[in-house]
Formats: sequence, structure tokens, C-alpha cells
Amino acid sequence: MTATQSNPAYPQPRETPTNAPMLAAWREGMLALQECDVCGHVFFYPRSVCPNCWDPSLTWITSDGRGRIVSFSRIHRGLPEAFADEAPIVLAEIAVTEGALMLARIICDDAEAIQSALPVRLLSKPEAARYPLPTFTLD
Amino acid sequence: MLSCDNGLIGYGSSVYEKRATRTEYSYLAEAARAALASAGVDKSEVDGLAISSTTLPPDNAATAAEYLGLELSWASVSTAGGAGAVISAINATQAVESGKARYVLCLAGGAQDMAFFQDRMLRFNAAIADYLAPHGFGGMNGLFAIITRKHMERYGTGREQLGRIAVHQRANARLNEQALLRDPMTMEDYLNAPVIADPLVLFDCVLPCSGAEAVLVGPLDRVAKEKQVRVQAGAERHNHPVGEVAPLSGGWEVFRDDLFNEAALGPGDMDFVQAYDDYPIMVAIQLEDLGFCEKGGIGPFLEANTMTWDGSFPLNTGGAQLSCGQSGGGGGLITLVEAVRQLRGEAGPRQMKNANHGLVSGYGMVGYGHGLSASAMILESVT
Repeated sequence: MTATQSNPAYPQPRETPTNAPMLAAWREGMLALQECDVCGHVFFYPRSVCPNCWDPSLTWITSDGRGRIVSFSRIHRGLPEAFADEAPIVLAEIAVTEGALMLARIICDDAEAIQSALPVRLLSKPEAARYPLPTFTLD
Repeated sequence: MLSCDNGLIGYGSSVYEKRATRTEYSYLAEAARAALASAGVDKSEVDGLAISSTTLPPDNAATAAEYLGLELSWASVSTAGGAGAVISAINATQAVESGKARYVLCLAGGAQDMAFFQDRMLRFNAAIADYLAPHGFGGMNGLFAIITRKHMERYGTGREQLGRIAVHQRANARLNEQALLRDPMTMEDYLNAPVIADPLVLFDCVLPCSGAEAVLVGPLDRVAKEKQVRVQAGAERHNHPVGEVAPLSGGWEVFRDDLFNEAALGPGDMDFVQAYDDYPIMVAIQLEDLGFCEKGGIGPFLEANTMTWDGSFPLNTGGAQLSCGQSGGGGGLITLVEAVRQLRGEAGPRQMKNANHGLVSGYGMVGYGHGLSASAMILESVT
């Protein structure tokens, strides 16, 4: 697979100076998080200041790409047209190794296999190309 | 006490429709006319306006005044989603108390249908547009499904326990002609409904609709004693707890003790609760956070109680959003309007026998994972 296989029908995040490094990292199949230089807080989604101490000195760090499912849902109905064929879509709250909490899709052939507390990892780079934002699979 | 002499003196609702047949201002004006009529106050006397709406911008308080032909000494627009209307009413009471205005109309509503709502959700705010919509997140249903599952797994809360909220509210709605959903609903119907976003089923999710609600705040002695509703206490909280994505608390627990202390009352003194019911799980969390049961104890509490208007724990006595529909920001005011109806003894076939004190709570403005705003007020019937 290549990046040309991204699905143009999906809504795309607006690229801004604030989130561009995260989106660029994901194009390489990696998850970029921000770490505050002053208080050490690690967070997602991208911001121009640390939400903990408001300091603008932030460093991008590369996540090891692993985490655990905190909670999730299999979404069967009410999906936008671009996603309808993929129902059920698994959306999960994921605690990544570095401590940040995020919401992301989990791609899994058998949605019934998803359970809270299971470990997840990022999709491989070729698989990642289809999805606009960091997306996981069962580890 | 928020105010001894000023409070809620009028209320009104517009028609509810599954599809918009007119503009948001039309629904707001219909509800406002009813509120003024119920107080015997003329439009020319209104000098304050508090609109709670996320669909009004880029219009604002001043342009709303222009559209509606009002000259005002105090005006505000709240964008705190479903928490906004209760906050509007609290602020309006304080505005009248401080002399900034004499008669304040608090309005909330929307002109929308399912398609409008689903499209708008993708752009509800920047965090949703950029970090959730690209995932096909299933709208608010997906987010509240995550919260529901977390509560079920952490505290053992059961689907059938939460389902009692939807089933009992439907029983209340059957006595409310305003409600769009009035078919009988049994627990079996609820449990067997189509899955939307597991563990949520069809009857856990509100129906976006068109309509509006209104209350009028002013000097209590303007209306007869049996129509006077006093605002004993009110509070709001935003972004609690900080930094969580799918929390099992919403902010009410932070101000709960102060709220009840200000009213010199406790949870046990409330004759009814009108809670924000976008999803049963949020009603459950409101009841826990406001102290009606302990944290995590909502399952057994719901099982032990009947939430109908004539039950052991009257909750959302008009059917609220789960049965009436969610008229945009009006979803945050439908609860307050029903509370005023009950306290004035004007709730018709669903009128409670002893409605002297009630609690109304609001919740909304979903950001990256959950509603960021919480509000609540305690009301008293003067007679």
C-alpha cells in the first residue's frame, strides 16, 4: 500500500502550524505527542501552549505507539456516509505508554474481539496511509 | 438564596417538530409569547434577554434584539450547550436582582432535523472537527457509549438499570402532548431496540428536533402567589475534571454542597429532579454527582425507585429530551420549564401532588470526548 490509497472521502483535519508536526509524523506511521519543557506534561490533541502550565515551550516526542484500551464503542449506526460501509467502527479511549489519553479508531477484522484493557499498537506505516489520524489495532 | 423577591414568573414552549418548518427565531418567539402570556407581562416591558444557543452565532444578543424588536438594558448569549439555559436563568435572576433589568426573557431552542444535526456535529467545535470527525466518530452517540461502558465496567451498572430512565420517562411523556415520542415503551422494547453504538441502543439517544422553550424572570409579586417560583440557588462548572477524555463525573459534585447549603436544603428535600438527559448515563452521573446516591451506586438506586411523575423519585416528569426530542439549546431549558409547570401546579394530567422544591440541572458543550459544562439550580414554589 502507498499513501495514494488514503480515503479522500473521510473528513480531513485542518492542517495548522500547531498540528502539522503530528500530521506529518502520522504520514510516517508514527504518533507524535507534545511534552511541556517546563512541567513535563504530555498531551494529545496538539495545542500551542501547555494546558497544564500555559508555557509555550513544547517539544514533540515520538510515542512508542503502544497503549491500552480504557473504554470503547462499536458504532453501528449514524455514521457519516464515508464510513457507513465500515460499520461497526470501533472508537476507543486509549491510554498511550507516555501517559496521554486519546480517542482513536481501532481497526480489527472481528470487532467482537475488542475488550477494555486490551493492549493496542499503531497501524503499520502502509496500513496507516488510509487514515487521516493516528489509528490503532490490537497488539 | 439567589433572590427572595425576584424569580421565575412565566414559562412557555413552542410546538415541537421533527423537521424545521420555520426559523430558530420563530420557535423562540412562539415560546416567548407563551411565557409572557403566562405572566401577564407585555412584550414592551421586556428589557432583558438571555438566549442559550449554539446555532445562533454569528448572530448575537444585540442582533437577536433587533430581529425580535426588543430594546434592552441587559442581554447575553450563552454557548455552554445544554448547560447554558440554566446558566442563563441564574444570570438573569442576578441581573434583575442587581437592577440591570426588570423583565428578562430566557430563551433556548433550535430549528433542526437529524440531517442538519449530524452535519453540524462534525463541526461542533475545533477539537471535534479536527480530531474526532476524521475518525468517523459516530457523533455524540459514540462518545457517550464510551462513557456508558466505562461506568458499567467500573461499577457494574446494568443496561436494564439505566434503561429504567428511558422507560419511565416515556411513561411521563405519554401524558405530555408536546412530546414527539409518545408510543408506549416496555423494558423489553428498550432492551431489544437496534444497537446504535454499543452499549447504546436507539432509545438511549435523543432525537434532534425543532422547537423552543422560554422562561420569564422578574419581580415575583408581579404574578399571583401560586405562580411565583423562587430561585434558591444556582451554580455552574466548566471543564471538570481537567485533562480527562471520558470522565465519570461532570462537575456537579464540585458545587453540590454549596448549592444545597445556599438553599438550606438537602437532596432529600427535593420533590423532583429535572436532569439533562441527552443520554441516560449522563442522567445517572448527574444524580450521583448531585448526591442523590453515592458515586457508582446509581444502578441499585434506579432499580429501587420508580422515576415516573407519580413514582418514588419523580424524574423528568414531562418525558424530557429522550421522549420530547432535543430542540438544540432548548434541550437545556425544557427541564426548567417543566419544573416551573410542576411548581405552579399547571402540569395537567402529570401534575405531582406535592411539588414544592425541585432541582434542575444542565449539561453540555461536548469537546474532545465529553460535555464540558455543568449547571444546576434549586427552585421553590412560593405558596
